Amino acid sequence: MKVWDLIGKRRWLYLGSLLVMAPGILALAIHVAAGRPALNWGVDFTGGTLMTVRFEDRDVSTGQVRAALQPIGHEEALIQRIEETGDISLRTGDLDDRERARLQEALRQGVGPFTVLSVDDVGPKIGRELRDIAILALLIGLALQVVYVTARFGSVHFAVAANVALFHDLLLVIGVFALTRATVDASFVAVLLTVIGYSINDTIVVFDRIRENLALRTREPFPGLVNRSLFEALVRSINTGVTTLLAILAVYVFGGPTLRDFSFGLMVAVLTGAYSSISIASPLLVDMHLRAERRGTAPQVRAAPEPQP
Amino acid sequence: MRSHPAVRLLVILLIVSAAFQVVFQPVRLEGGIPVLQPLQPNIRLGLDLQGGMRLVLEAEEVPGVEVTPEKVDAAMRVIQHRVDALGVAEPVLQRQGAKRIIVELPGLRDPQRAKEMIGKTALLEFIDTGPQAMPHGAEWTADGRRVRLPDGTLIDFPKRVIVTGADLRDARAEFDPNQVAWFVRFAFAGEGARRFEEHTARAIGQHLTIALDNRVISSPVIRARIPGEGVIEGNFAAAEAGDLAILLRGGALPVPVTPIEERTVGPTLGRDSIDMSLRAGWIAAIIVVLFVTLYYRLPGFLASMALAIYTLMILAVFSGLGATLTLPGIAGIILGLGIAVDGNVIIFERIKEELRMGKTLRAAIEVGWRRALSAIVDSNVTTVIAMVVLLWLGTGPIRGFAVTLIIGVAVSVFTALLVTRWLVEFCASVGLGRGLTSMARLPRTAAEAGS
Repeated sequence: MKVWDLIGKRRWLYLGSLLVMAPGILALAIHVAAGRPALNWGVDFTGGTLMTVRFEDRDVSTGQVRAALQPIGHEEALIQRIEETGDISLRTGDLDDRERARLQEALRQGVGPFTVLSVDDVGPKIGRELRDIAILALLIGLALQVVYVTARFGSVHFAVAANVALFHDLLLVIGVFALTRATVDASFVAVLLTVIGYSINDTIVVFDRIRENLALRTREPFPGLVNRSLFEALVRSINTGVTTLLAILAVYVFGGPTLRDFSFGLMVAVLTGAYSSISIASPLLVDMHLRAERRGTAPQVRAAPEPQP
Repeated sequence: MRSHPAVRLLVILLIVSAAFQVVFQPVRLEGGIPVLQPLQPNIRLGLDLQGGMRLVLEAEEVPGVEVTPEKVDAAMRVIQHRVDALGVAEPVLQRQGAKRIIVELPGLRDPQRAKEMIGKTALLEFIDTGPQAMPHGAEWTADGRRVRLPDGTLIDFPKRVIVTGADLRDARAEFDPNQVAWFVRFAFAGEGARRFEEHTARAIGQHLTIALDNRVISSPVIRARIPGEGVIEGNFAAAEAGDLAILLRGGALPVPVTPIEERTVGPTLGRDSIDMSLRAGWIAAIIVVLFVTLYYRLPGFLASMALAIYTLMILAVFSGLGATLTLPGIAGIILGLGIAVDGNVIIFERIKEELRMGKTLRAAIEVGWRRALSAIVDSNVTTVIAMVVLLWLGTGPIRGFAVTLIIGVAVSVFTALLVTRWLVEFCASVGLGRGLTSMARLPRTAAEAGS
């Protein structure tokens, strides 16, 4: 395979990553500046009631539903129609049983008979907890990963580079959700979890190659060695990425509307996870190493302790 | 580990049939004799897949009642009784933290009724109201000093409780053909029966008001001494009387609870979700098998078999642990599939490299697996670290995802490191070396030297 000097052009890689992230971050900033919530938080985070109903008449429009709700208030209700199935989803503040019964009665009177497909009723407490847990778990998980990677690779550089790449991926995914205004609910959390699970996993496979080549002590300059390792691992990176993407694409296309936002998020997660190992983690490793070399504190990387099969 | 390749193949076959038996249960023992039965996947599906209701209840602090884990446990037993009476198959009750109870009711018909029954404190009180008849629907305030009448006026009326539902021995819904109405017949036990009898003997002509959770059901006049048994009338419909009897038999909750989270998935949506995710799963599997086999030829085909074994084993672990498969869980399985593919790809790429460097097939296989080991172990341990933290801190769907991915990673490492390897070595030992080396796409002569 032809080997380009990607590492030598790493400034462009950083710039590329920034450009890819820019629209998402811009979207976040614009929403905040306009006084809107940065992300389209779902009931899982804000609390509230989300009800999906299927009218016997599948052609019911959101206008009809809104008109039916008029007499009992609920101007705040967010009404959406799922085009594929004709189902209507209604999102309101936290409703108690009596209010929910009133709302259903109004729909039955004003629009027609329906069946309730699903109800999510979340108290505001749960939403705060979910967010707090997500952040806490992320921090603890990252800290432990840093310890493990540092121990196994004999240098904290690898851990830092891998985690910066992870942050890049998290930010990118969040940015994409800000851009598309897709609902940020429990499945969004699952997407972020996938990023955490996949991003570091992918980076470590590339780093493993670097570690192995370093252990051969070829006296090759560090940037060149990293570049060579990248390309040696490239076929694997592409093949794994493509297979996983194809599998998720099948879920995106055939998994139905409930899985659509979720599988879309997963695709972004896998793409950016593979991409950042090459464009962020490896160049960063080189920059950290060069800086340490100038200071005369470059770490000695040892071979992976090889467990005997 | 140096066992004969054919023995290893046998081990794989054993593992596969064991997993198949756990998941689909084709063979059942009937009185010691194995019987074949139709295949039925033995996997517990989450509420998001099969429909049902999940409720998270939180015990409330009220003046005079302290919430303790013991009381929450006692409340759980009461709720268990009510849930059993609802006739739900395989309900799940769990305590979460110090003061929360998770109730999961799969395949529920009437979520509204279930919610009302489960969340009700169901404290039945027989109250001495003297000459005063209390109208149906009047309600005592939480401190028990005043009564809010149905028209909204508030009057001072301290609650004098004679006896509570805690002393009930039995409660049954019965039909009165003369009045064409349902009522609930109850009986007190021991101390309660004695107190009830004494009071009714003393207070003939006075009203004895019956209230459930502070709300008045009826307020009959005591006509004679009642020996520890009686009826509650309140113009009940059949279902109302039945539900009240169930609540009274099960007893009151020792602490009041409020639902703080409710998720209901109707059976239609659940059915749709299963169908669509199954179809998506099949298509994804076919695509992955095609891609891997076309790219890596015979080894790719062997890896596909290993992936099939991976899937079967995941399902077997789920089935064996009695774990629940949810939508986030499916995400975990797909990601695990990606990781399993990755393990195989790392190894095959390595073997290809070694072959191109001129190593023999046997040596290339040996080196391929040894060198790939550190990458596979390190990358997966970092993933597992993150998942263990989530399992430890997370709730509900997050835990579902974390559990699946941990199982997925463990099984995928097992299949990549052992199953694929044994399959590849078996093929090498039965003279399929040419087929194996074909993935390196070597020039003809080199390939022959390699095999």
